[in-house]
Amino acid sequence: MQQKFSRSFDELKNIVTMTEALFLQDRIPSGLRNVVDLATEELFVNMVTYNTETDQKILIEMLPHEHGVEVSLTDYDVERFDPRAARPVDVDAPLEERTPGGLGLYLVLKMVDSIHYEYRNRQSKITFIVDRK
Amino acid sequence: MFEIEFGDSDSVVVEGRLDAAQAVKAQAFLDQVGGQCVLDLAKLEYVSSAGLGVLLKTHKRLMGSGSGIKLINVNHHIHDIFRYSGFDKLFEIVPASN
Repeated sequence: MQQKFSRSFDELKNIVTMTEALFLQDRIPSGLRNVVDLATEELFVNMVTYNTETDQKILIEMLPHEHGVEVSLTDYDVERFDPRAARPVDVDAPLEERTPGGLGLYLVLKMVDSIHYEYRNRQSKITFIVDRK
Repeated sequence: MFEIEFGDSDSVVVEGRLDAAQAVKAQAFLDQVGGQCVLDLAKLEYVSSAGLGVLLKTHKRLMGSGSGIKLINVNHHIHDIFRYSGFDKLFEIVPASN
């Protein structure tokens, strides 16, 4: 299952619809939904927010994996950005030192089972897997 | 779908999916809240980092005046997100009874 999405947060509801369809079609355990939704949203929002030099749509591909789901997001005509190198967040910091933002990629790296990054011909592709625990 | 409104006993009821598309709506509502704020999350199905940012910003503002946010009826998944984010150390959290 694959679909291209405009560079707008308004597309999030359509991404959720796509994910829902995959889970229903392939009878993927519903317990994985929230992590898949979270990781997909955070990576999509990151591309929309920071890859502002392009107006091309973002491709999202989803397919069942052996014990869960594999999701890829591809952004076209952009600079390299490997989410695995995202700056760590000090989640033990006191309230006065915490600031909104920065948590998205941290949560993705914490919650998915594996994540892979490819950059070729100005195409930035992130693939993650969420498995049944 | 996302809704935020005042409930009984001055609590604020949050329902649906608090994602990046809904964070502006949530922030606009919570910017009007003063004093101790109880957020009832019983019907909150999903929250992303954008929603966490709204909660953190509001909590810091209210803490500045000696109050803050209390999160009640927090389901298992949402609680996991709070725990991974370190929010369980920043907020008073009451899990859902089931």
